[in-house]
Amino acid sequence: MPQLLTVRVKRPDRRPIRIWVPLLPVVLVFSPFVVLAVLGAAVACHVFRIDVVRALGTGWRIVSALPGTRVDLEFSRTAVLVAIR
Amino acid sequence: MNEERKNILDMLAEGKITAEEAEQLIAALERAQPPTSASPAARPKGRAKYLRVMMEFLDEGESGRLNVRVPLQLLRAGVQLAALIPPQALDRANAELSKSGVPFDLTQLKPEHLEALVEHLDETVVELEQPDGHLRVFCE
Repeated sequence: MPQLLTVRVKRPDRRPIRIWVPLLPVVLVFSPFVVLAVLGAAVACHVFRIDVVRALGTGWRIVSALPGTRVDLEFSRTAVLVAIR
Repeated sequence: MNEERKNILDMLAEGKITAEEAEQLIAALERAQPPTSASPAARPKGRAKYLRVMMEFLDEGESGRLNVRVPLQLLRAGVQLAALIPPQALDRANAELSKSGVPFDLTQLKPEHLEALVEHLDETVVELEQPDGHLRVFCE
């Protein structure tokens, strides 16, 4: 499961912004919304006749596979980095 | 063989420098140009873990660079989504594809086929060179 989201933004003539988001505490804080989202997804799966267990399993696999993802974009003197660990 | 190394060997062949000097120059050249780990040729053989997309481009005179690293595990998990597409949606997509002149039956596309495709991405290298940009897609 992803543990840490890092966002870094460098802009010309401004101080660079670097944010580290520990994901587990964030998920815990927003857990009521997470439960609602999962319930909503389960209802949507039922409506569209999709196997709920399989859909949730696939969703979990995707979330679990996120660590290691990194997107680094530089254009002119602006740079944005998003990394998941 | 890169250009600098060839120049050194040419100078040696022409007798402008001695073999010892040529050796020193080549050693200095190697110190100045360490092998890049991002190069697909330089990576150690083994099971690839990441899909890399590296792009350098020029837009209105400004240079840009994009560097994306996606775990192959994420692609493997993503292809499982194909199994979740409702049959009625596949039928509609097939109809639209046929209308566009692409008679492709998406119902025949199974997750195991897509997984096999991801499994064999290891050796894939896509390189695109244009005057205003360079794109390289590879696994590492």
